[in-house]
Amino acid sequence: MSKLPLEGIRVVELTTGAAGPTVARVLCEFGAEVIRCETRLRGDGHRGEDPAKWNKNPDFMKLQRGKKSFTVNMQTDKGRRLVRELVKISDVLVENYGLGILEKWGLDWPQLKEINPSCILIRVKGMGCSGPHAPDLTYGPNVGNTMATTYLWNYPGATTATAEPRTQHPDFMGGVTGAFGVVLALIQRKKTGRGQWIDSAQVEIGASLLGPKYLEYSVNKREPKPEGNRSLVAAPYGPYQCKGNDRWCVIAVYAQDEWERFSNLLGKSGLKADPKFATHLGRVRHKEELDKWVTSWTLQHDPYDVMNLVQGAGICAAVVQDVEDQFKRDVQYAATGFLVKMTEPEAGDVVTENVPIRFSETPGKVRGLAPMMGEHTHEIARDLLGLSDKEIAALEDEKVLY
Amino acid sequence: MTEVNQLPPLTGYRVLDLAGPLGFHCTKLLADMGADVVKVEPPGGDEARRVPPFKDDSAHPEKSLYFLHFNTNKRSVTLDVEKPDGRAILLELARKADVVIETYSPARREELGLGYQQLSAGNPGLVHASITPFGETGPWRDYKANDIAGIALGNLLYLAGEPGEPPLQPPGEIAYGMASTYGAFGIAVALYHRLESGRGQHLVVSMHECAGHIAGYFIPNYGYSGAKPARASRKGEETDLYDPYPTKNGYARIFIIPVEQWRRLVDWMGRPPSISGPEFEKMAYRRKNPEIVVGAITEFCNRHTKEELYEEGQKRRIAVTPINTVGEFMNSAQVKARETFVDMEHPVVGKYLHFGPVPRLSESPGRITRTAPLIGEHNQEVYCGELGMSNDDLVALRASGVI
Repeated sequence: MSKLPLEGIRVVELTTGAAGPTVARVLCEFGAEVIRCETRLRGDGHRGEDPAKWNKNPDFMKLQRGKKSFTVNMQTDKGRRLVRELVKISDVLVENYGLGILEKWGLDWPQLKEINPSCILIRVKGMGCSGPHAPDLTYGPNVGNTMATTYLWNYPGATTATAEPRTQHPDFMGGVTGAFGVVLALIQRKKTGRGQWIDSAQVEIGASLLGPKYLEYSVNKREPKPEGNRSLVAAPYGPYQCKGNDRWCVIAVYAQDEWERFSNLLGKSGLKADPKFATHLGRVRHKEELDKWVTSWTLQHDPYDVMNLVQGAGICAAVVQDVEDQFKRDVQYAATGFLVKMTEPEAGDVVTENVPIRFSETPGKVRGLAPMMGEHTHEIARDLLGLSDKEIAALEDEKVLY
Repeated sequence: MTEVNQLPPLTGYRVLDLAGPLGFHCTKLLADMGADVVKVEPPGGDEARRVPPFKDDSAHPEKSLYFLHFNTNKRSVTLDVEKPDGRAILLELARKADVVIETYSPARREELGLGYQQLSAGNPGLVHASITPFGETGPWRDYKANDIAGIALGNLLYLAGEPGEPPLQPPGEIAYGMASTYGAFGIAVALYHRLESGRGQHLVVSMHECAGHIAGYFIPNYGYSGAKPARASRKGEETDLYDPYPTKNGYARIFIIPVEQWRRLVDWMGRPPSISGPEFEKMAYRRKNPEIVVGAITEFCNRHTKEELYEEGQKRRIAVTPINTVGEFMNSAQVKARETFVDMEHPVVGKYLHFGPVPRLSESPGRITRTAPLIGEHNQEVYCGELGMSNDDLVALRASGVI
């Protein structure tokens, strides 16, 4: 087996929340050594407020698995100096604190490039590093508000605020896109020998998927409205209610031959005989009536039976799974080993998601457990910063390595 | 603005783009970062050219705004890969490529004879990316999945929508988007590895697994405690100050995690007695008393516009954001200041604003240099200029429906 592609790349992480940690986690899975700087002064948002639970939060395990934890107090001059020493011998610095903090710590790009010109700095911010709202305090769900995801994620004609779920795709997609940016900068560094910094705005990364909506506004001068589960290119389309409590299966019929197989499968003579449904146009125009036919069939079946029957006919179908389904009934996740169990020293068994991309030569992987608070402080202080045991003890007493 | 004199980082890399919608965002990310992306369309044009919205609602293959968004910076050739001549030309294009991206199912890839072995023959440095619905193994590997299917399996759809109503699709094809983003990251990693090893490889992305990554912390939490959240509790049954609150003119979200943010919010609200007690400083307590918390905050928000709440809340270091429409976002001060959109012109669509490259590299930034191509716009340039065919060859291929 070849070595992992990013082996030898050292990443220092000064982060909180999810988007910044995700950048470093993704790099870690492909071989980077990630040193997460944190402090006992307070638990990171995902370690939580209570020190007794710092090493027990499953959210934290997901975000930080495979990394090292270096406890250092950035309120102290000595602490900041130690981190600058660490960055001097590192390849990447990942940061996502509020704007101005990195500047204060002497690690923004103008200062960083003086101490390590080949370093790559990525600054992950909700709104980016420039503009009047650069200092905004935002969490993943905030980001979707400004770029119109929240507004658009609703039923047609909805009058309430939102029906969006508690999801944070700007955090996770932002993290992976940021990691993409870092690797591009590493490729560029091979050519130039020099680093650079990356302004990674979660709002822009999330918004980049809404391009067609912005074009509609820009080209047609029209405000796009929530469309719910509407489609003009497929019918039937969307989630259909199945047997059971709040059970649904998505079905999407695009082509005429798919329709023919689908209507045969349903075996409803009235549906097949009705000329209204003979063409795609007819099916789109009479979607509501069509949906009643489809639902009269799906309601008789378990959602997984619907999925397998419809897929068996070569048509797109997918169960609307909840998290329990993902563990117990998703035979694909079970077969590909997507749910990875780690046994953490204090938390016990924790399940997180495997790397969703397979390489034939240099496969990335979950490289280890999430670190306990300060687990690697001594190792890093001794091996990378060259401090003696005595110096380390003194810095701990002074609450610098803390 | 910094003086920039480096070209985008993927300048000089040739990408052969056979991707369907699952890979559109992937090849866009690569094209915006400087790669020369040659998009292979079937002779009638890519299926995305039939996807709305359209300029003036006119369903014309050069007026799809969906196609326009994803295909800036790319070149277009037409090719029927189902025909033997078409496949031979495709393999020739693959020999000159650094990266090939396709979105076939494993069965379809085999049927077309476009596996890694065939594509990389004579080109050992090739990075072949397969962005698939379900990966290459497992019982669902040849199942079909569009974006909403990925969202459904990933536990994003179940949670979206009102209880009692159907689950609700998100805008913006985020399952495709996440699979594409992982694809672009994987390709960059494989190219970096190739700089050291000289060797390419085959990578396979599973949208189904990527969708499992987007849904936040449900998988780790279920595995740990069996917690199984219900569909969007948006009616105040539970709150972590996550909900949007009604204002004078629409909605704003206030999102509180650390205790000092909570204290700042209570101060800003004038310390209403109903929520000023020390017990409310604990998130767990607030969650147990949503009617009190939501009631007080709603009453406060209703007295302000969403913009007032945004400006003043952020000044006070509280994570407040307005629920914007598309137009409100595009016209916002932040978007204008960052020049998030760039001026473009398309021969059929005309002048428009296009979303710029992400993320922003300081020394070798991505750029949007050309608008989306017309169908087969670069046939001659690529087939004659780069594969050395003659004009007669093109006529013959056109006559037989290959291009």
